[in-house]
Amino acid sequence: MPYAPEHDEIPNPLRPGLRAESAPEPCAMVIFGATGDLARRKLVPALYNLAVTGHLAAAFGIVGVAKSEHSAEEFARDMREAVGTFSRTKPIDPEIWQDFAAGVRYVSGSFDQPETFARLRAQLEELDRTRSTRGNRLYYFATPPSAFPTLLKGLKSAGLINPPNDSRFTRVVIEKPFGRDLASARALNRLVLETCDERQVFRIDHYLGKETVQNLLVFRFANSIFEPIWNRRFVDHVQITAGEELGIEGRGRYYEEAGILRDMIQNHVLQLVCLTGMEPPVAFDADAVRDEKIKVLRGVETFETPEQVARNVVVGQYTAGSIGGMDVPGYQQEKDVAPGSRTPTFVAMRLNVRSWRWDGVPFYIRSGKRMPKRATEIAVHFQPLPHSLFGEGATQPNVLIARVQPEEGIALRFSVKVPGERYRPRTVSMDFRYGATFGMTVPEAYERLLLDAMRGDQTLFTRRDEVEAAWKIVDSILKVTGSPEFAPPHPYPAGTWGPPAADQLLAQDGRAWRQL
Amino acid sequence: MSENFGEPISAGAAPRTRDSGELTLKFDTGFDLRRIERLLQQARERGGPTPESVCTLNLIAIFFNAGQYERARETLEVAGQIHPCRLVVVIGDPLIEQESLTASASVSRSGGAITIERLVLSATGRAVRHLESAMMGLLRPDLPRVVFWGGRPHGDLMRRAVESADRIITDSGARPAAYLAELAKLLAKGAPIGDLAWARIFPWQGLAADTLDLPNLREHRGNIRKARVVCAGAVGAEGLLLLGWMQSRIKRLQIQILAEGESEAEEEIVASSTCPRPAPMGLGQVKALEFEAPPATFTVRREKGILVANVKGDDDGYCANRVRLPPETPGRLLALELKLLSGYDDLYAQAAQAAAGLLASVRT
Repeated sequence: MPYAPEHDEIPNPLRPGLRAESAPEPCAMVIFGATGDLARRKLVPALYNLAVTGHLAAAFGIVGVAKSEHSAEEFARDMREAVGTFSRTKPIDPEIWQDFAAGVRYVSGSFDQPETFARLRAQLEELDRTRSTRGNRLYYFATPPSAFPTLLKGLKSAGLINPPNDSRFTRVVIEKPFGRDLASARALNRLVLETCDERQVFRIDHYLGKETVQNLLVFRFANSIFEPIWNRRFVDHVQITAGEELGIEGRGRYYEEAGILRDMIQNHVLQLVCLTGMEPPVAFDADAVRDEKIKVLRGVETFETPEQVARNVVVGQYTAGSIGGMDVPGYQQEKDVAPGSRTPTFVAMRLNVRSWRWDGVPFYIRSGKRMPKRATEIAVHFQPLPHSLFGEGATQPNVLIARVQPEEGIALRFSVKVPGERYRPRTVSMDFRYGATFGMTVPEAYERLLLDAMRGDQTLFTRRDEVEAAWKIVDSILKVTGSPEFAPPHPYPAGTWGPPAADQLLAQDGRAWRQL
Repeated sequence: MSENFGEPISAGAAPRTRDSGELTLKFDTGFDLRRIERLLQQARERGGPTPESVCTLNLIAIFFNAGQYERARETLEVAGQIHPCRLVVVIGDPLIEQESLTASASVSRSGGAITIERLVLSATGRAVRHLESAMMGLLRPDLPRVVFWGGRPHGDLMRRAVESADRIITDSGARPAAYLAELAKLLAKGAPIGDLAWARIFPWQGLAADTLDLPNLREHRGNIRKARVVCAGAVGAEGLLLLGWMQSRIKRLQIQILAEGESEAEEEIVASSTCPRPAPMGLGQVKALEFEAPPATFTVRREKGILVANVKGDDDGYCANRVRLPPETPGRLLALELKLLSGYDDLYAQAAQAAAGLLASVRT
């Protein structure tokens, strides 16, 4: 458990130099929205896998809270089925499951009823007695954001939140989206911080739990050769792509409210911008890392006028098309999507980060649904040669690519001589692939993040100011693109990399998107 | 000392049948490195176009008879899958009079790439003198050299190979406890030794340290006076290292180590399970660690696959934590040690020096 000693405290004599990671403290985890998709697909399988790998405290229990009427046994049975379907380790080990399921409880009830929280308290106290969970609580809000205020009030009124300096910890994990614009994010932060201290709040962005995203920090700050060239003197531009083949998968109601800017840009993609652009932190701890990330967000130029948005941002919406040889419907034909909807399912934009390191280096980012394939990557394009010895256009500028998914890894593109008498350069790729280099199974993002939350390590969770700074950027776009005066999203056929306007955005700078 | 003292390095591993893709050459007077390299190239090309080769280290495993290699084989394979490598296995048996020299080559593939390039060099009789130079010539340049020392030293054989290693990994838990004294001498000279017995006690160290990080127990940190380790059946290297670690961390600590009860039978833990489990508690392994910081007494004890930390004298019977021991798949400990590819492990060296000092007071 990361822990900062008080001034007058004697340091732990057994801690220095240990290679063993801290085990999480005993705790009871409460999942609000326990019968929902997130709990079934991600949270419970992640917890089970932590038990399989020996990372979960044996003194652990889960309380599921949801409206549906279930007994604890029925809930545990549902969870077993979910683990059987969605866990990365299969089949289920009966002995581990038996121990795991012995700590599963369920409370049914409405979140706005005090009785629900009274029953929750009774279950938690029972877990403290029977599973030695020692009064430590991890509350996970796997609910729509509209329920967050009610949950916080309910927990507070029932006395279920201990102060941050209490020997029994209380931590609250809040799923994205954290607010739907800057004003609502600020209001939610105020509400959260009326109930908890910032040290108790874990705003989750599962992208940060991915090994390859974390590897960006290692790649940048554990290799001395890249640092001298990681700046405006050597980098021409940066391209960040986060594309998905999938459409909205029956989540029309959610997506109509969110759109690509809230769903992907405000959180995942801006986090990638931060990790690419940040300065080296003074230490590898939660606040030092987040201090540097926020400087990048604060440096991003926001758009002040509709003209600036029109010049730098392209929004699109998919129409019917074909992906992987299968016909797929257009966005407006999806369930729960309004005819004539103006919700963007694609965005491409040009950002400028005002800093000594990056000013003048465009960060082109694009993200969309129903792209030809699933691909998330960061490509750092270095400047072209000042003068080519081998003929005009004979060489391509170097590109360093960090692939987040799939085929996680890093590639460097550079020129070599084609064998033969003449000096004919060709660009080749030097490729590092995670899967091939390390033969271990990579844990799911939620495993890492849940473990960190249990340990109290906030490094991979977003801080209040970070969330608000990201919203400030996205808000400046939403205000314009959401207005009826702004042109509707450009249509693009499903199975393409967005509308032609996205290509023009780079073409006007004399550049082009990478072919993925 | 019993042959099954401690946990053998190949714990839980069934001997693997040899890969069908293994190619073998016999030599008469000495190894021919070019032919061995060609043999490896043939092994790479088997089954279609040659995929890329990924290699993060040279893993050298030294044995003094073929049986030792068979027992350690799966351990090396699993570790090699996690840390792609050129695995050079050297088996020298000088006790067999007849001279013989063989080399075999094979590869393992994972994720579309070759992740283990495996070369096995065997020699018997006087021909063992060729092994070291052949092995040195087959290492990949610019990559760390880690020696997995699975056998017993025979005079100067392999001395140069061991001395040039970035790291030497052994398993003192599979040897008589007195072996720690030999290790301590080498560590004092700066030998970069890693030890699977040390990796085996990581969970004990972690839980003991975690307990002192609990807010209501931090007050006891400066007051630890006594420590006691209980081993299963006999005092073993893990117990000595654990106590040695405590002693090296806390000044003026009164210490005690003793043996109690028996080791666990394999079938007690390895039930009909689909998941890897903690290995059963072997002879000489740690059953319990106690340390006193009056009025509190901390106990970490093993209950089958779970470590339980309790505190008495503060809040009576207070259970500080229970953690599952990590699954004990073959090679996991070696893979854990391979995370550190070079350099000197200070904490281990201090613990081993202290453990060696304890040996005199222990009847093993």
